[in-house]
This record gives sequence, C-alpha cells and structure tokens, in this order.
Amino acid sequence: MIPLLFAFLLAAPPDYPARAREIIQHHARPASLETAGYGTIAAKLRLKEDPEWCSRRLIEILKAGPTGDMFWMFPVTAVAYTGRDQLSPEAWQALREAWRTYMPFRGDTENHWLLYYTSMYLMAQMWPDQPGEAWFNGKSSAENFKESEEWIHWWVDMTTRRGQGEYDCTHYIGVFLLPMSYLAEWAEDPIIRKKARMMLDYIIADYAAEQIEGIYAGSHARTDDRQVVEKWAGVSSDFGWLLFGLGYHTPGYGGYPLYYVLASSYQPPEILQRIAKDRPDGVLHKETKRTRHRWRFHEERNGDVYKTTYLRHDYVVGSDQGGLLQPVQQHSWDVTWRVADPRGVHNTLFTLHPYSGLLELQAYFTFAPDSATEVVYRSKKSYDSPDKLLGGSPYEQIFQDRDTVIALYDIAPGARFPHINGFFSKDLTMVTEDPSGWIFARGGDAWIAYRPLAPYSWKPIEGGGRRLFSPHLKNGAIVQVASAREFRSLDAFRAAVTRLPLEVRLEPTPSVRFRTLRGAEMHCTYGAPRDFSSWKLFDGPFLKAERGSRMLELRHGTMRRVLDFNTLTVRDE
Amino acid sequence: MRWMLVLLLAAGASGQTRHNLHACVVNAKSWVTGAKLAASGLIRLDETQGVEQLGFVHPMILAADYDRRDPSVLYLAAGNGLIRATDGGRTWRITTGWDVTELRDVTVDPNAPGTVYFTHTAGIHRTTDGGATWQPADQGIDGKYCETIQADRARAGRVVAGCVNGVFLTEDGGASWRRTGAEGIQVRRVAQSPHRPQEWLAGTQMAGLLRSTDGGRTWEAAGDVAVERNLYDIAFDPAQPGRIALAGWGTGVLVSEDNGKTWERRGQGLPRWDIWSVTFDPGRPGRLYANVHEEALYVSEDAGRTWRNAGFDGAVIYRLHFFPEAAR
Repeated sequence: MIPLLFAFLLAAPPDYPARAREIIQHHARPASLETAGYGTIAAKLRLKEDPEWCSRRLIEILKAGPTGDMFWMFPVTAVAYTGRDQLSPEAWQALREAWRTYMPFRGDTENHWLLYYTSMYLMAQMWPDQPGEAWFNGKSSAENFKESEEWIHWWVDMTTRRGQGEYDCTHYIGVFLLPMSYLAEWAEDPIIRKKARMMLDYIIADYAAEQIEGIYAGSHARTDDRQVVEKWAGVSSDFGWLLFGLGYHTPGYGGYPLYYVLASSYQPPEILQRIAKDRPDGVLHKETKRTRHRWRFHEERNGDVYKTTYLRHDYVVGSDQGGLLQPVQQHSWDVTWRVADPRGVHNTLFTLHPYSGLLELQAYFTFAPDSATEVVYRSKKSYDSPDKLLGGSPYEQIFQDRDTVIALYDIAPGARFPHINGFFSKDLTMVTEDPSGWIFARGGDAWIAYRPLAPYSWKPIEGGGRRLFSPHLKNGAIVQVASAREFRSLDAFRAAVTRLPLEVRLEPTPSVRFRTLRGAEMHCTYGAPRDFSSWKLFDGPFLKAERGSRMLELRHGTMRRVLDFNTLTVRDE
Repeated sequence: MRWMLVLLLAAGASGQTRHNLHACVVNAKSWVTGAKLAASGLIRLDETQGVEQLGFVHPMILAADYDRRDPSVLYLAAGNGLIRATDGGRTWRITTGWDVTELRDVTVDPNAPGTVYFTHTAGIHRTTDGGATWQPADQGIDGKYCETIQADRARAGRVVAGCVNGVFLTEDGGASWRRTGAEGIQVRRVAQSPHRPQEWLAGTQMAGLLRSTDGGRTWEAAGDVAVERNLYDIAFDPAQPGRIALAGWGTGVLVSEDNGKTWERRGQGLPRWDIWSVTFDPGRPGRLYANVHEEALYVSEDAGRTWRNAGFDGAVIYRLHFFPEAAR
C-alpha cells in the first residue's frame, strides 16, 4: 500500500504553486542572458535575483527602442511592478522616458485593448499626478487612469451581460487572463482588484467547462492553423496545465503563463478544480457569446453567438450556429477525442466552407477593398487558400443535438471557393467508406460516423491526414459520435447508425431529417428561422447565468459559488 | 538624392503663402500589430527643414487638417483617436477616449472657429472647442461607418460625409444628416471644388464617380469613369479650373482637363496603376503627386503625363495634404 501511495505521489503533477514557480524559474534562468528580454528581467525580479543585471539589461533593451505596441506595454508593466523596490534609478528613468517617447498602437481587438488599458491603468497608478507632457498620448496620469478604468469596467460589464467578444480562444485566452491577473494583484483600488479576481473565476470557469484534459474543445472565436488540427498545441493547454495540472504545457511554457504567474496570487478555487477534473460522462453545456465589433453591413454592432458543447469522457462535440461570427480565425465546430498524449496528435474532425471575401474583412476591419486580403494574408497565410481548415463562412449553418452535428452549406454561386473541406486526421483509424454512404472511423475511444451529403474526393494534407473535398454548392455533413464503450465493434456501431432514419434533400436548399443515436429527431433546413430566444448566457450543470444578469453561478455537487458583478460579491455555499 | 529632389519639389513657390506637403504614411509591407514599424505617421516635406517625421511613429494616420486660425495646429485622424498636434504637428495630444477608434478622416470647418469633424468606425464626432470636448454628431446616418468627410468652405455648418451606405449632408453643423445620394454604395472620398463651391465629387467603392452641382443636395453619376473600380482620392487643381485628378485601384491616375467630362489615364513612369492618393501643389501649377501602392511617392510636373519617383519607397500614403507654411 505504501509503495503504491509513493508511486502515486511521484506520478502526480506538482501543485499550483510549484507549477507557477517552475514557469518563473524557467524564464528567469535561460541558457543565455545575452538575448534575454523583458520576460527574463521580470522573472528575475519576481525571484529577487540579480537586480543590478535586471536594471542594466532593461536600459539596454529600452535604448534599442521599444516595439510591439500593447505587446510591449504588458511586459514592461510587469517589469515595473516586480521591480518596484529593486530597479536602479537609471532603469526607472529609462522606463519612465519610454512611456513618454514611444506611442503604442491601441490596436483593433478587445484583447489589444485589454492589454493597452490594463497597462495604462497600472502605470498611471504607479506614476500619479503627472502632466500630459509625461505621457506619449499627452494625457495626464489622472486622465489616463480614468479612461482606462472606464474601459475596463465597460469590458467586464459587456462580458458578463452579453458574453465575451473574442470567446474561448485557444491562444488569446492568455491575453484575457493576464490583464485580470495583473489587476487582481497590482491594482490599488479594491473594487478593481476584486472585479479582476471575479473575472479570473469567470474566464477560467468558461474554459474549465469546455476542455478535455486541458484541450480547449468545440467552437472558438479564434484559433490558428496548427491548433485547429493539433488541438493541444497552444496557450490554452499551457493554462490547463498551470491552473489544473491537466495535460501538457507547450515547450517553454509559452509566454503568457509567465506574465500571468508573475502577478497572480490568485489560485483557481476548489469548485473550478472540480469542474475541470470531475464531471460525469455526458455533460451538455450551452452558452451565448458575442461577435467581435462589426463596423459595416450589420444593424447590431455585436451579434449573438450560440454555442453548444457536449462533453463525454472519451470525446467532446461542440459547435456554434454557423455564419461569419468572427473574422479570419473562427472555428465553428468539431469533434475532439481524448488521447493519452496529445502532442503531435490530430485528434479532431470537422468540415468548413473556406470563405474568403470582403463581406468578412470589411465587416470586422477598416480595410480598403483592394488591399484587404493581401494585408490579412501577410499574417494569416491560409486566409485566402481554398485548402484552408480555418475560418467561418456566411454559407454555413450548424445544428447540434448532444453528440450529433449537422452542418449544412448553401454556397452562393460565384463564391471564391465553391467547395467544402472536411478534415480527416492522420490519427483516425479504421476509416471505412461504407456502401450506405456513411464514412465510419475511430478516433481514440470514440466511434465517428460521417455522412457527406454531396459527392466528394480525397486530397492529401501536408502534415498528414486527408481533406474531404466536395465541390458542390448545396452541401453538408452529418456527424454522429459515440463512445467505444457503447459499441463493441465498428460493425456494431455501423449497424446502429445505418438503421437510423435519414432523409436528405439538397434542393432548393439543403435539408436533413435525422433521428440520432440518442433518439432525438433533428429536422434542419438551411435558412429556416431558428429560435434562440431561450438561450442563456451559460446553461449547463456547472455554469448558470441569465443573459443580461451580470452574474454567474458555478455549481459542482453540493458546492456553489455565485459571482455577482452587480453587487461585486462572491457567495460560496 | 531622391530626398533632395523631393525637398526642392515640395516647397511651393507661389509668392504668397507657401504650402508644405504633409503625407499620411504607413510603411507596413511586413507589419502587423505589435511588429516593428518603419517610419510611418505624419511626415512633412519642407524646403528648409527637410523631411521630418512629425510627432510619433504611428501605423494609422489616415488624414489631417489644419486650424484656419492657427495653421501650426493640426488635427489628425489616427488609429488611437483624434490627435491635436501643435507646434507644427510635433507635439501630440490624443483628445478622444475609448468611445471612438480607428478614425478615418477629419475636416475643419473654415467658417466656424474651433469646429472640427471626424469620421470613424461608428459614425461622426464633432467638437466646437478645438478638440477639448467631442460629441457624437451622426443623427440620421444609417450604417454608421463613415470613411470620408469634408466641411463646405462656403458656409459654416454645411458638411458632406461619405459612409458605408451613401453620401450624407448636414446643414446644421452635424445636428442632423440626410442621405443625398449613393444609397447602398460605399463612398470613399468626397471633395469640393476650390473654384465652384457648389460642385462636389464623390469617389465610391465599385460605383464610379458621383457629381453634385448643388452643394451636395443631389448627386448623379459623373459618366462611367472607374465604374467597377474603387476610387480612393480626388484632387482639384487649385491653379487650373477644370483640371481634376482621381486615384483608384487599377485605374492609374485619371486626369480630366474639362471638369470631369472626359478622363485620360496618365501613368507614364508609374510602376503600377494602383493609386491611393493624389494632390496638386497649390504653389506649382501642373505639379501633381501620387502614391502608388507600396511602391513610392511619385511626382509629375506636367499634370500626370510623366512621373518620377519622389521617395517613400515601399510606402502606402493614404492622404497627401498641402498646409500653409505658417503651420511650422
């Protein structure tokens, strides 16, 4: 018994403080200090190591000239706060001068603004009572502080009433956690400090409820070309490991977790640990999010995003309602299956219409029409590719009932790319194109049935796997997933699925009538009105919130935590 | 060497008030938010001072105008907000807050001291106190995104704006607007003739050029020039009534000598026909500047018939403005 316990303790991941310390130490002691940046300086200062070197190095870097806009602001803010009692007068002078002589661009996304205004808030707090001449924007400390404070309050209010704008991002989750971490520790105003701690609960709860072993699953406002197929490979996994000890962190722990732990004395409360790690097999979670600001072509600046995520032990199925909900990096639906070690594994399946066009770029950005695609392509190489596996489409509508997804496409004639792409992973096994028209496969311990609604062919994908290519404007796919524990063999799963009543019509618009494995009757028609009026901000066994409420109730077993942003109170039961 | 040429060219020599060229530049060929940015922002080309970056490097200065009472005060439509730049543009103060972003254009009402308008992603704002305070001023505009704005130089409180859904006119200082043309069309630039104040032009996205001869109250298609193209800029030659230049994508520089009745593509010496901005030099008759997309600034001494490189290699220049010398 004792050896067993000992072995368990050895295998167990380190606890949160140890993981946080591991990250800081990693960054504080790089292989070489010659090219060390703000991260190393801040990490060393946090550990109270070598403040003379930190001061010297800070001066050197600043002398070279700040770059990076708001991505410069947040590291130097961390340096300022971790170095409050350690930096030399000369280093302080260099830092102070940089905030006068370098104008960061405020950016065009909420994550940019959150970094910008959090940094402005904290630096104006650090250097109060200074005139406009002391700041790059010509505003006094008091003006900068007030403007930043107002926007931060606006963002919290908007998020807790309407949902997050850049929701459930596999990468940018870090950029939302980090400012809240800073404010929770470094803001002097107890209201802001408390609000930030509550927002950490809020954002982390959102993530905890929709991940599988640290992998952020389902629909995302933004992900990237790699993580859309290798679901583990990104910042969200770093935070899954840091916050809950789940899964694997990326090499070097990523950058954002460092800044998060530099500031935060916050640790996820027990109820979040339980939501992340202890849940029954078969959890249906729904939530409402918000589109990014739409400047053109829409009556309402922020539209609603209706998300469904169904989590089982072996897999997760998640979706939004389809459409152009976010620019460029939207990921609307997928199946993600659990694997023991996800590193290098493409543990997902999905389809999309590869949309590229001004309707998207001019709605969400200020781009001029002729250079828009070119500008996006410079940083998002796949955007204008017919082969891409990332992005939303105005010609996609998605329907989900637990572990069944029906994706329908009605692509306008003349669309730049008149086809749909389906991602079939290199890590699927037992892939069988059945005479019934279904494609059956196994991903980890999940059986997956995929029914294409139009003829297709296969194309290879660089990096492995195959792309289902279907060049038909009226199109779609039905996906039914089940656990390997429910069906003893592929044949048993196949027999069950092929018995399910199914009617498909593609003209005049795609329409499907399907009885799912769970007995639900799904009748989905592209373009038919859909009623989301009863959709709540959060609705699942672990998270409950009404739209417009500014509240979130966390539940697990007999535990309750109510975050009430109206009264700025946290109530535990 | 090129800069020397630019300097010599840029200083107007009208014998009266000298004007200097101000370019709203972004050198962003490989830039995304957060990356190192080459010289960008408001850059002045001045005979005696040389080429000068005014104020900060900034990736999004889209337009500028100057205070008619004190030309050393500039107003800049910028990504971070409306910048009031004093000391000839060198000392900046952002006068707006978090309620507006990514400004598109700015215009000073020459007949209403202290009154300035700017367009942004969600409408139009106005100040009547030189930028100390701003108020939304876009009642009546549907589809709030507005790209371009120009105050009528003939009467205070008259302003024309080009928005995502047409061209709009206010005659009460922005208190109310009405659409006067181009419904369903994105308008990218409006400009008023310096010779005939009742005459306006509007360049559009994919719908060619529109003309108004009644001060912006009504609009009609100005022939079939540049239809199915995007027009980005319009310049009236202040020294030559009837001469107008257009900048557009794929159009090259289009020049009319008969007040827009006929157009000629003038591009000998230009590396491509994708043009962001054009402006005539008020002090040098026939001199025309144009920016070619990510190529350079070009200058012509013969109203666009022949061109030569005038520097700013690789840059996009969204607007070219001549401001009075007193702006120093």
